[in-house]
Amino acid sequence: MTIFSRRRLAGAVALAASTALLASACSGGGDSKGGEAAANELTVQAPLFGTAPDPNGELQQAVEKLIGKKLKITWVPNAEYGDKSNVTLASDNIPDVMVVNEKGPSFVKAAEAGAFWDLTGKLDKYPNLKPANEQTAKNTMTNGKTYGIYRVRPLLRSGIVIRKDWLAKLGLKEPQTVEDLYAIAKAFTEQDPDGNGKKDTYGLIIPKWPGNYASASPYDVIETWFGAPNGWGERDGKLVPGFDTPEFLEANRWLKKWVTEGLVNPDFATLDSGNWNDPFVQGKGGMIIDVNVRATQLLDLFKEKNPKDFDKVTLVGNLKGPDGQKHSYPFTGYNMVMAISKQHIRTDEQLDQVLQTLDKLASKEGSILLTNGIEGRNFKVEGKYAVPINQDDPKVKAIQNDVDKAFIQLGTRASVGMGAYPLLPNDAPSRAMREKFDVLMNEDLKTAVFNPALGVIAPTSISKGQTLDTIIPDARIKYLSGAITEDQLKAAIKRWYDSGGTQIAQETNDLVNKVGG
Amino acid sequence: MATDLVPEVVQPAADAPRQAPPGKKSRRARRPVPLWRDLLRYRWLYLLLLPGLAYFLVFKYLPMYGLTIAFKDYVPFLGYSGSEWVGLKHFQELFTGPDFGRLMFNTLLLALLTIVFVFPAPIIVALMLNELRVNVLKRSVQSLIYIPHFLSWTIVASLTYLLFSVDFGVIANWIHGIVGGQKVDYVAQADWFRPLIVLQLLWKQTGWGTIIYLAALAGVDSQLYEAARVDGAGRWRQFWHITLPAIRPTIVVMAILTSGHLMDSGFEQIWLMTTSLNRDVADVFDTFVYYIGITQGSFSYATAVGLFKGVVGVVLIFGSNFLAKRLGQRGLF
Repeated sequence: MTIFSRRRLAGAVALAASTALLASACSGGGDSKGGEAAANELTVQAPLFGTAPDPNGELQQAVEKLIGKKLKITWVPNAEYGDKSNVTLASDNIPDVMVVNEKGPSFVKAAEAGAFWDLTGKLDKYPNLKPANEQTAKNTMTNGKTYGIYRVRPLLRSGIVIRKDWLAKLGLKEPQTVEDLYAIAKAFTEQDPDGNGKKDTYGLIIPKWPGNYASASPYDVIETWFGAPNGWGERDGKLVPGFDTPEFLEANRWLKKWVTEGLVNPDFATLDSGNWNDPFVQGKGGMIIDVNVRATQLLDLFKEKNPKDFDKVTLVGNLKGPDGQKHSYPFTGYNMVMAISKQHIRTDEQLDQVLQTLDKLASKEGSILLTNGIEGRNFKVEGKYAVPINQDDPKVKAIQNDVDKAFIQLGTRASVGMGAYPLLPNDAPSRAMREKFDVLMNEDLKTAVFNPALGVIAPTSISKGQTLDTIIPDARIKYLSGAITEDQLKAAIKRWYDSGGTQIAQETNDLVNKVGG
Repeated sequence: MATDLVPEVVQPAADAPRQAPPGKKSRRARRPVPLWRDLLRYRWLYLLLLPGLAYFLVFKYLPMYGLTIAFKDYVPFLGYSGSEWVGLKHFQELFTGPDFGRLMFNTLLLALLTIVFVFPAPIIVALMLNELRVNVLKRSVQSLIYIPHFLSWTIVASLTYLLFSVDFGVIANWIHGIVGGQKVDYVAQADWFRPLIVLQLLWKQTGWGTIIYLAALAGVDSQLYEAARVDGAGRWRQFWHITLPAIRPTIVVMAILTSGHLMDSGFEQIWLMTTSLNRDVADVFDTFVYYIGITQGSFSYATAVGLFKGVVGVVLIFGSNFLAKRLGQRGLF
């Protein structure tokens, strides 16, 4: 005590104590502003696919000018969007408008507790929010209730991307049937399509799939070609999960042959889906089964590598199964909905205001802003197409980035894959590829196998999803890699039923009967 | 004779700082001061303690209120008080559910592997480094082996994939070249999951762990070695009777601290190494909590699992501390 003077020590203590007080005051101050809803401000949460836009950037200013409100947008990287949404739902700071998976367990629980507005029948008043497609509108319901405005997507995007030059080199034709596909994969693996004299290529590239069963994985698409239901399907007058059908087993038996014969990349259980393009561009694998836009992506990558010779990609639609019938894998027609939270939007008048704002965002003018950008700044209109301009100007580049990586996610009418003006790519192969999208989609839609249970979610799968979700996809991969036998795969399907699947099947049947598929 | 003497000498040396102010201590002991007078007398020192206390209260104890959701059906919108009280429902679900046995087994087996392979590694490496004569070599080896500690698990996992991938893994191909036969998918196969986890832990943490043991070894009085040499003790004898007893308290403390973390399997590492093929052996409580809590939004259930884990950790810490004392060691508290 003698070393320090008492006064100095007291000063230090006071300082330390006041810092502690300050810190606690700061941490406590966060939610004080939560109570009042600023009438001219809208908080939004949406996914982000690149760098976050500048809130004072040109595009956001333009959007704010159009809707006459300040926007406070929380952009969340897409890879962690689901996690972040669940955490947001658990907080006391839910944004007014939230892009959200309307069948996610935590959203359903929150919505059923009254955290979000039930918009059933409320949207018809707003010309741009009124569902354009009855079926999609039904699919976006949660057990008969509409909790959000769906963000539209093309109804069918599945396809096979194939190395065009490899096909030509080996004298093969584009596939029509699954047998054709097998023959091509076999040839790609064994006939040295890259001509380097070594057997170092494989037919099909499959990544470690981040989703569960019936999540548009290559496996799901192939099973559909074989006639398995897409998610749920009717068998003997009852809905059964797609994996409980002979077609499911047949498709996987067939695909297992591919794995055994080395026609699939050997690391299909571990390859990061973010690196899916790499083996294709590096010339290791020759086929990818995924959404059609992957074809243009790959074209761009080949173009980057060699601008003179990049027309190496072709896109093929869904295939005929072994029974000679074509079954196409459709998409849901939307990707997540925009839900409106009740935290700040308390009264019907406030809700009406928010819906009016969203209606403006979904108008022709709003859709152009969100999906194309600012006319005359980053694009010009040529016929029905949008042509990018001034892309060398860093400011214009910023607008283009804000559109492509962020604001397009706020579009509900025009959206990813269907802009207000379709984009006109600046090279012939990409242009031809874009035009193919619609042709293939319209052709395959005739044979699309729809999931009749999209609009419902069984209560048991909300409460017990955690133990059930991984059973089937895990068993499928184990079976394909040879870790388990077909009998063990069947046992896994039985385990799914035993650990709660029976209730899920029952509830799904009941709900579909009640609200209609 | 010397063998009996040496530990005797070590003990007082280690205890020396404690006994440094004997006068003050004994005087206070003789005349017990009432608590309030003590508080008053050292008020400035106790004031200094306040921020620390406040920190623990605000950030460690107050949040424990949130644990109550383990006994509720927590719906965030209804809040802590509005959610329905369900008692032990979530614990029942956990103990009777299909996952519990597998989770417990995986967690405990990984903990056992960690104790057997990972815990002794830094001790062995530190002792080996201690025997090195060339100081430059000792220092550079020490620095080199603790660098991996600063790499995040994401990088370690990526490196593992790069080295062991069945398609392009350098080490995997190298092993394949020597052993031949069927190519082994080390990163995906369930059989290789645990060996890879242990290898990663060894690579990443061994060097860092040696620091504390090396510090303990540096504190050993060199006179002891000289005296032992004079008494004719060889290298091995010196090691057995001087070096090892000197770091024994450190080992015990580290062992007790580790035991508290037995149920923590290292979430990031395991999450990053999990694939569809190895999930059966990879699922542990930590990944399960993340999966049901964050991705599935079952906050109450996740909290119940986490609480169970925490309780086991506390029991283990007290148990091993008790055990250490029983075995004649000093223990942690």
